[in-house]
Amino acid sequence: MHNRIDWKSRVREAFAGHALPDDDVLDELAEHAQAIYETARTHGFAHDEANERVAQHIESWRSNAPDLRRLPRRRTTAPPPPASSSSITAGLAQDFCYAARLLRRQPRYALLAILTMALGVGATTVLFSVTYGVLMKPLPWPNSDRIVALKETRGGRSPRFGSFSNAVYLAWREEMTYIDDLAAWSQRDVTLSGIGDPERIRVVSATASLFPVLGVRPLLGSVFGPDDETERVLVLSESLWRERFGANPQVIGTSAQLDGQAYTIIGILQDTLAFPDRRPRAWIPTRIRPSTGNSLSMFNAVAVLRPGATISQASAEGTTRGRFVPDTGMTTTAIFGGVGPVEVSARLLRDTMASDVRGPLFVLLAAVGLLFVTSTANIASLQLARATTRKREMAIRRALGAAGTRIGRQLLVENLMLGLIGGFAGLVFTWWLHTMMPSLLPIDFPRIDDLKVNGTIVLFAVAASLAASVICGLLPALYVQRLSLAESLGEDGAAALGPNRRSRIAFARMFVMAGQIAVACVLLVGASLLARSFLALLTLDRGYDPSGVLTARLSFPDSLYTPERRFAVVDDLLRRLSIVPGVTDVSFTSELPLTPGGSTAAMTISAPGADGGRITAQASPRIVSPRYFAAIRMRIIQGRSFVDADVQTSPPVAIVNRTFARRYLNDNALGTIVPMAVGFGNFELPATLIGVVDDAVYVSPTEPTQPEIYYSYLQLRGTLIFPVVNLVIHTADNPTKFVPELRASVRASDNTVVPDAISTMEDRVSSGLARPRLYAVLLGGFAMFAVVIAGVGLFGILSYLVIQRSRELALRTALGACRLDLVTQVLRQGFVVAGMGLIAGLVCSTAVVRSIGTMLYGVTPYDPFTFLLVPLFLLLVAAIACFVPALRASRTDPIRLLKS
Amino acid sequence: MAKTMLERELKRGSTELLILALLEESARHGYEIAQLIDNRSDGAISFHVASLYPTLYRMESKGLIDGRWIEKAGQRRRRYYRLTPAGRKMLASQRTLWQNFFHALNRVARFDNA
Repeated sequence: MHNRIDWKSRVREAFAGHALPDDDVLDELAEHAQAIYETARTHGFAHDEANERVAQHIESWRSNAPDLRRLPRRRTTAPPPPASSSSITAGLAQDFCYAARLLRRQPRYALLAILTMALGVGATTVLFSVTYGVLMKPLPWPNSDRIVALKETRGGRSPRFGSFSNAVYLAWREEMTYIDDLAAWSQRDVTLSGIGDPERIRVVSATASLFPVLGVRPLLGSVFGPDDETERVLVLSESLWRERFGANPQVIGTSAQLDGQAYTIIGILQDTLAFPDRRPRAWIPTRIRPSTGNSLSMFNAVAVLRPGATISQASAEGTTRGRFVPDTGMTTTAIFGGVGPVEVSARLLRDTMASDVRGPLFVLLAAVGLLFVTSTANIASLQLARATTRKREMAIRRALGAAGTRIGRQLLVENLMLGLIGGFAGLVFTWWLHTMMPSLLPIDFPRIDDLKVNGTIVLFAVAASLAASVICGLLPALYVQRLSLAESLGEDGAAALGPNRRSRIAFARMFVMAGQIAVACVLLVGASLLARSFLALLTLDRGYDPSGVLTARLSFPDSLYTPERRFAVVDDLLRRLSIVPGVTDVSFTSELPLTPGGSTAAMTISAPGADGGRITAQASPRIVSPRYFAAIRMRIIQGRSFVDADVQTSPPVAIVNRTFARRYLNDNALGTIVPMAVGFGNFELPATLIGVVDDAVYVSPTEPTQPEIYYSYLQLRGTLIFPVVNLVIHTADNPTKFVPELRASVRASDNTVVPDAISTMEDRVSSGLARPRLYAVLLGGFAMFAVVIAGVGLFGILSYLVIQRSRELALRTALGACRLDLVTQVLRQGFVVAGMGLIAGLVCSTAVVRSIGTMLYGVTPYDPFTFLLVPLFLLLVAAIACFVPALRASRTDPIRLLKS
Repeated sequence: MAKTMLERELKRGSTELLILALLEESARHGYEIAQLIDNRSDGAISFHVASLYPTLYRMESKGLIDGRWIEKAGQRRRRYYRLTPAGRKMLASQRTLWQNFFHALNRVARFDNA
């Protein structure tokens, strides 16, 4: 009988009126109830008794009904997001997931956007990093915010070399109110010997006050004090100490040879504190002595402001002290090119160090900023295009209850993600460029060592990418806000709309497009001007021909060579080199073109038409060997060059350059009597001008040529009184092939001399052009990038418009429009955009080219060629960009399209 | 009153241990578990059958045991419970816990001498 009991129904009935457990639980309880019943029956209980036991159990289960349910084992899915998020952060993770999924689904679009962003962020960050490192980052010395560089002028004239004279230095140092102290320094190259192979190194000779002015302490040992100024002591740079002395601390107190003289090493200076930059390897003391007679010595000077004092107070004080120094007459004319009242100007050292790159850096930063804007605009434009294609998706999401802000946020998040990935890639790009920087930048670029990727740079990159992504996301987000639900859902994507209907978004894109063309135009104008300027520098007539010329420098320090010995060695060397096969001319000069510094002298000469018949002339004197003009291919335009027959026993002769002849002798120089070897000792002999040589670019093409006067070394009593000789060797072949012969000949003449700065004249010219080349290449690169962006953008928007208008175009074709009409239609649209961009770009260009005026040589900022060529080029690019979409429009098959 | 409270607390704390220990030997169904606890403790810790299933379900949701319907040859379809690896771990730790507790209790209250 009990077999017929339906236990499950019985349990279920028992729960009537209570929370009914799951079916599964009911099964289990029913099975339990049956087991109780059967056991009871097995134990001999009657049916009723057994039934009673079951009833008790069921009763107890019923009282626990709420607990009788199986709980879910584990959560398998995330809780659904709230339909409308009240807090800002809610659902953000979901937005990110969704964005990631979307980007994965459109890898090409994502890659394009990320690459564009990476390039934009990377280029901008690098430029920012250079600008920051060079112009804004504090200098490494503890007093750096108070250190000023000093410059002395006379009657507004700057000195030809150095920046400060001993006269003013000593006068000011006697009484200082607004400055704590001032220090003098200059640099030169010497031969370090005594440990390993002799090596040419750059040393700074400085007054003992330099270290207190900078506020630096040595890494080891001590720096020199006032009493050391007349001693031969030496502070090594940390790097030299490591390389040559194996970082041995015992080196303090030992000696090293500089130009053959023993110097006692007293200290090691940390590389990060090296002054003025990391190029000097050692510092030696010097004492500034008062002028004797009419002499002046020139050097560089820095001062440290007293706390609270201003730069203008210091300048005024220096000027006042300077006014008390006695006039040094002709020497002043020689150095300053004239006489006049002393003016001292102080400027923060940080600003002086980078003064010649400040302008170009700001121009490049502005250019890269424009590039960044245009690349950002490109992504924004892509986003707008996507927003159009995703219109239905957005409309459906809104119809399902998503708020406009919620969808807007979603779009922003998508862009943020692109931006952050792109920004990270850009940062990697930046870091990579930083490792390349030392080889990319010209060797004389200021503060190269200060260019590091640090927190500021990373912050900048992050901020730039965030800003870009927000801007890119904002346009489509705003667009979504205004999306009309019914319209988007009801709209047939391929409907033949009038040109005005679909235009809002297309209009925005066209506007962006025109802006991009304008940016490309501005950058291209700048790049073209710089490129033309660079070409002008490259092809400029320098007054000499650098091709086939090998140059080298030989040092004969006073400590090791008498003027007679020097003469003998050089004379012997010229003889040896002249018989080397392939060498066409061998010569030397006391000063080589393109070498900064240089000497200057003043002299009195008789001049036709001058007041009293005599004038004071200033000129750069140079001692050369007779074949110098031939070796470097300088042109003799009047008279003759030096010959080997112009010797000690023949009448002294001299040659001047065109500027000298024009400025002082009315272009009629031949036969004029000038002092012999002025600036090179006291010969007190008259020399006759026998020739005029054409002007040569000695320092830089942007500086006016100075008057020059040349003497032959064969007429100087068999002596050479200057310690550095520059060899100039003209060869019939590749000049670098002759380097081994050059070294061998030098060794044969004097095996203690080490030739240094061996390079071809062409390399010297080229390294002098490193900066203009860098600026032109950078701006050119930015401009080309901008052109590509504009071209691709134009192509993109026109293709898009053609697809959007395909039905309309098909209708037109069906109604009789010929293909040419369609092509013209599309082309016109493209050219309207390009034209608007060009006009805007040209207007902006005329406004901004003035800022690069100082970077230009041989071309005016309003160069008509540039202003004609750039628009033509951009129109060509626009035509190419329009051509494919136009062609596609003309191939519209009306029947297929209208049927579809 | 205090006595019943203590009993209740002890029972609640030990139920899981008992079920885990029984399932360690083999997979069992609910009725069997109830019977075994009753028999082996000579009725001393028989607990109300009303709380058996809620306890089983709770332990199942915690992942200590795993229940599934099995139909053995010649038997009715029954829901058998067995230990999961997590349950095995829990059993070991509970055993140590109780063992330590008894030892401590013994040292203080001296059951053996009582």
